[in-house]
Amino acid sequence: MSSEHALLSARGAGRTFGQTTALEPVDLDISPGDALALVGPNGAGKSTLLALLAGALEPSTGRIERRKGVRVGWAPQRPAQYGRLSARENLELFARLEGEAEPEEAAARLLREFGLPGKASPSANLSVGNRQRVNLAIAFLGRPEVLLLDEPTAALDPEQRRRLWERATALRDSGGAFAFATQNLDEIERHADRVAALRDGRLVFAGPADEYDRSRTDTLFA
Amino acid sequence: MNRVLLLLRKDALVLRRSPLLLGILLAYPLTIAVLVGLVASYASAKPRVALVDEDNLPPTVTIGGKRFHVDRTIQQVSKNVHLVHLSREAAAEQLKNGKVVAVVTVPPGFITTLQEMVHSPRLEVQLSQGTISSRVDQQVQALVYSLNRQLQRAYIGTNLGYVNLILYGGKGSFLGRPISVLGLGRAQKVLAGMPQTAAVRNLEDFIHDARLALANTGDALNATAHPIELVRAHDRGRTWVLSANVQAYALALTITFLTLMLAAGSLAAERDENVIGRLARGLVGLGHLVWAKVALAAALALVLGMAIAIAFGVIIQVGGVTGGEPWHRLPLLVVGLLLAGGSLGALGALLGALAREARSASLVALLVVLPIVFLGLIPSEIVPPAGWASSALPFTHAFQLFRSALFDLSPWGEVAKQALWLVALGGIFGALARLGARRLLA
Repeated sequence: MSSEHALLSARGAGRTFGQTTALEPVDLDISPGDALALVGPNGAGKSTLLALLAGALEPSTGRIERRKGVRVGWAPQRPAQYGRLSARENLELFARLEGEAEPEEAAARLLREFGLPGKASPSANLSVGNRQRVNLAIAFLGRPEVLLLDEPTAALDPEQRRRLWERATALRDSGGAFAFATQNLDEIERHADRVAALRDGRLVFAGPADEYDRSRTDTLFA
Repeated sequence: MNRVLLLLRKDALVLRRSPLLLGILLAYPLTIAVLVGLVASYASAKPRVALVDEDNLPPTVTIGGKRFHVDRTIQQVSKNVHLVHLSREAAAEQLKNGKVVAVVTVPPGFITTLQEMVHSPRLEVQLSQGTISSRVDQQVQALVYSLNRQLQRAYIGTNLGYVNLILYGGKGSFLGRPISVLGLGRAQKVLAGMPQTAAVRNLEDFIHDARLALANTGDALNATAHPIELVRAHDRGRTWVLSANVQAYALALTITFLTLMLAAGSLAAERDENVIGRLARGLVGLGHLVWAKVALAAALALVLGMAIAIAFGVIIQVGGVTGGEPWHRLPLLVVGLLLAGGSLGALGALLGALAREARSASLVALLVVLPIVFLGLIPSEIVPPAGWASSALPFTHAFQLFRSALFDLSPWGEVAKQALWLVALGGIFGALARLGARRLLA
């Protein structure tokens, strides 16, 4: 799909941390209907690329372009929430910051959809899986058109995984898009229609999933 | 602004959910207030002074024909110090172990020497080492000054009696022995009845001059005794300097410690919680984030400062300490606390941005706050570089603002000046914190 239609694009976007290059300049588009898988070994630059696309990091080189009015949801690999606040309080706070018209309702809806406890116990006391559910639920606030998910299923049980992919697929089918970083090759085959492979901070492959030669993976992770 | 309030509300909730931190925040100002109250009460308490009476002082004594009430003098002294009668040995022991701060000894023969009016009798004073001993020294000096003034009147009266004896003649006593004096007046009459030789005329001229001169002796003696007379006007200032100073230090110290550490820790905690990236992606700008911490620090300073001021006021009110009650100046304190808290919060946010981790930030804040406070305590007149350095930090300005707000009869000029300093420093530290906050995203 041409970049003119892209919802979100990286244009020569790279990032360094001090003397360390986390991501070489990358060109990448996320267009309506995309289900993009970012693959690569640990430290390849997948999380950095997602954080740049989400706007959580500023690129050291190049730029990130977002189509006007497009809303982006982002779930980082390590849950990003306030440990002293309950799941509901976290959701209500971020709903307000996202500009949700009815923050309490939005929080209640996501609590239900993600099967989260409505109790007032701090999210720091939740299980790892439940903390990840809160992390993912926050990404769905503000009714995003693009979802950026960093290894989203790592701590989820099979039922929650299924629900997550249903939601992401529904978003894509309604004209949105999602991109996810993963180490799970099955998830690429089942949920991605495009693949971007990274290694040592460089983009080494970007194209349709059916053109992505699975045998490359062995080389990639070697 | 709405986002700043949302974050502020979140921080307040997080604070409420941190029992240890909340406990410290509640206990700290109360402890400070109690300590300050005790210091103020101690400062106003009567020092315990031992009186060793080795001359068996009588209730009254007559000196130069004038009656002195020794018991009343002792009562007068007791208004300022708590006077306890002790033996020489007991007094020495209590001075040694600090139970009394001074020992005033009336040696044997004191009253007799006083009544003879030839030599000055001596009072012995021994003082302990310590800050309060200078106060006692002043009290004893004031007592001796007061006694000397009363004695001077008696001495002058006695001396004038001798002068009158010389002028008009008659019977009197000197050193307890009766004497009879012819007197200048009667001598002049005797000379008038004698043949007027040159020698007699010379004597008459001398007597005439001497009578004129001696007629002014009373005024001359009074003027010699009191070249300058100090008249004390009984008028009190608005508040007592010591308690206002102590309150100002307590307020400045408390909010400096707590706001600096809280602002530094809470900004760095946004990174520890991994939330900073979520916020920075358009939900909350880094500037808003810094503002939220500044607002948090200002709110905390207001709550803690008012708690201290009110607790302090209650303590000194109940304790009956004169002056120093902050009630009338609470509105000024509110403004000062908000500005000082905000300025310190901006500095704390800068430290938090530089340290990047909550634990490191709190530790750095603790390490930074000590020299800030110490610099502020050094008088700039003594070490000018310390004054310049502390001018660039909010603590000194906060202290001066609180002191002026609590003590000065017309505090507006000083309060405005220090408020401007705090706003300017807050602006500079806030801008630096905003720049430094980018480090939190790395």
